[in-house]
Amino acid sequence: MELSHRTITQIGHYRDMDLTGTAPDTLLKLYFQMLRLRRTEEALHQEYHPADEMRCPIHFCIGQEAIPAALSLHVRPDDFIFSHHRSHGYYFAKGSPLRELFAEIYGKATGASGGKAGSQDISHSDTNFYSGAILAGAVSIAVGAAFGFKHKRTKQVSISGFGEGCTDEGAFWEAMNYAGKQKLPVLFVCENNRYATFSDQLKRQADDNVSARVRPFGVRATQIFGNDTVLAHRTIGAEIERLRNGDGPALIEAYTYRWNSHVGPEDDSANAYRQPGEMEFWKANCPIVLLGEKLRAAGLLTDALSARYEAEVAAEVAANFKFAKESPFPTDTHWRQMNYADASPLADRLLGVATRGAGFDQYQDEAKLGPY
Amino acid sequence: MPAITYREAIRHALAEELTRDENVVILGEEVAQFNGAYKVTEGLLEKFGPKRIVDTPISEAGFIGMGVGASMLGIRPVMELMFWSFYSVAFDQILNNAANVRYMSGGQINCPIVIRGPANGGTNVGATHSHTPENILAHHPGVKVVVPSTAYDAKGLLKSAIRDNDPVFFLENTILYGEKGEVPTEEYLIPLGLADVKRTGTDLTIVSYGRAVIQSLAAAQLLQQEHNISVEVVDLRSIRPLDIDTVLASVRKTHRVLIVEEQRPFCSVGTQLAYMIQREAFDELDGPICRLGTVDAPAIYSPPVEAEQLPNPQRIIQAARTALA
Ligand SMILES: Cc1ncc(C[n+]2csc(CCOP(=O)(O)OP(=O)(O)O)c2C)c(N)n1
Ligand SMILES: [Mg+2]
Repeated sequence: MELSHRTITQIGHYRDMDLTGTAPDTLLKLYFQMLRLRRTEEALHQEYHPADEMRCPIHFCIGQEAIPAALSLHVRPDDFIFSHHRSHGYYFAKGSPLRELFAEIYGKATGASGGKAGSQDISHSDTNFYSGAILAGAVSIAVGAAFGFKHKRTKQVSISGFGEGCTDEGAFWEAMNYAGKQKLPVLFVCENNRYATFSDQLKRQADDNVSARVRPFGVRATQIFGNDTVLAHRTIGAEIERLRNGDGPALIEAYTYRWNSHVGPEDDSANAYRQPGEMEFWKANCPIVLLGEKLRAAGLLTDALSARYEAEVAAEVAANFKFAKESPFPTDTHWRQMNYADASPLADRLLGVATRGAGFDQYQDEAKLGPY
Repeated sequence: MPAITYREAIRHALAEELTRDENVVILGEEVAQFNGAYKVTEGLLEKFGPKRIVDTPISEAGFIGMGVGASMLGIRPVMELMFWSFYSVAFDQILNNAANVRYMSGGQINCPIVIRGPANGGTNVGATHSHTPENILAHHPGVKVVVPSTAYDAKGLLKSAIRDNDPVFFLENTILYGEKGEVPTEEYLIPLGLADVKRTGTDLTIVSYGRAVIQSLAAAQLLQQEHNISVEVVDLRSIRPLDIDTVLASVRKTHRVLIVEEQRPFCSVGTQLAYMIQREAFDELDGPICRLGTVDAPAIYSPPVEAEQLPNPQRIIQAARTALA
């Protein structure tokens, strides 16, 4: 059956989660990863105002933890993730250091992007994570990375994470066209949360799914109930395996829901854009609750273990805040240093050689640029 | 005169033109049902209905192209970009099609489109969302580029823009949306291509536009109070057409020029202006033409550093004193 946000709430309480075939320690890891991400986001959300030390737009991903948790157990360090503006879940999925996420949000020199990008354009080169806040741009870039992998005959996989709103853009379809035609090792992960800012997908598109329309482009597509973390884990695992064996590309469309405002901690419910009963449905089918219920019933998750997880996560969050707050701001004395390339560690990693740009010294020369 | 915000001034201009001419329509992301990302179009859907105030998909290339096509047939679309920074997604429609259509059709086809939205830094949204493309737009013959600094100017200029028969790119500022200014209740228009002397002075001419004008005025006041320097501030208001005459008249009075712009310096509006001033008034200058802009790097997020990357009153004061040294 095709999934649709129009009818999905008729499921009532979701009962199809199937633990068969997934190892107990994997299930617990999925649960722990979701809890970590949830508590991290809640803490950032709560701390944003009134301190106002975080100033960048943040698109929180509370309610959408299943996909990041599932991805986090399948991506290898040498795989790449390219995220859209709602970046924290994907950053987390790539195993990029959370304290550098916090520091980035605080605009600090120790941040993942040195305080230059903030939340919506954050990247972490050492862990092969990149994001781009201009919709659909990062999808093409992910396809380009997959082109590189195919070219170098590696077994790496490129993962592109985005929402259904991004598929309004022409660039999205150009990316599908090329990835499908060239059979590139790229996994498109569409978290279909129904809305783009306040607009329902059906207000912008003729149908409320993406899967049916990418298939004619040669992109295999699977729809899943996106808050079933075990299903997400299984589906992503199977697709990544196929991609590594040259059977790409693939798209997974995960129906899920964002609990918070589109952006920032401010409440946007005055816009009255959500359907009645929808939030209640999705909160009752919270991915953490759904998995937690199953794990408790199976005797895997106990009160004691749950308390241990909470304590571990709380300590990590506190340490991340401390690191971010105590870190220095970048200094404004080296503006030009970043404008032109000298070395590119990222390219070096793919090509296995040291590349050197030609322009660095020349462009650093103040005299040649002239005083402004 | 009542004081209204820059945002309200733009909204009033839109409402008046929608009322005056039934061919005026507004299109953009979330402009109708949700009043626009910055609430500029608030209330217009209720007043003018869904045929005139139209929500589009998140498809800048697609809907700007639609606007160009509609305008060729005489519709007068006023397109909102959530941020001008998203213009690059629609670059082809804006600068290949809108800008060229009159010329390429041998003067047979007009393109009376207005594209408006905020284009500024200073709000910690990072490089991808902080573009100030007035120089890039103005590079193209066939287009007009307007950057208002006050509520009064925003209203009068936008009304002229909507009535103009060529593409007009109207660059607003999120930091100014809440700023109040006096705006007459009776109708008025400000012609495109007319600069405005926002402060008179005798020692130095600051030429500026957009929010940099507001910062230049703050700096001018401090320069007067603390250094006894009398600064004249010329607000270009329109980048193309460019009112060089008003600039030159001021230069002939003060003989010293500082250009202040929220632009990176390389190939900026100020670059063009400096050329024109020296070409027309070389003998009037008592010193080199000076410029102050945004430090030449992509917009940084880090809040305290972004404040120093952009023009601000302290940096302007320093540059003014250098210009007078
Ligand atoms: C080219 C472009 N146009 C508009 C925007 C403004 N914008 C940011 S997020 C967003 C909605 C995105 O919705 P979706 O892709 O579904 O992701 P979600 O926010 O739901 O996770 C919009 C319109 C943008 N960032 N880039
Ligand atoms: Mg969405």
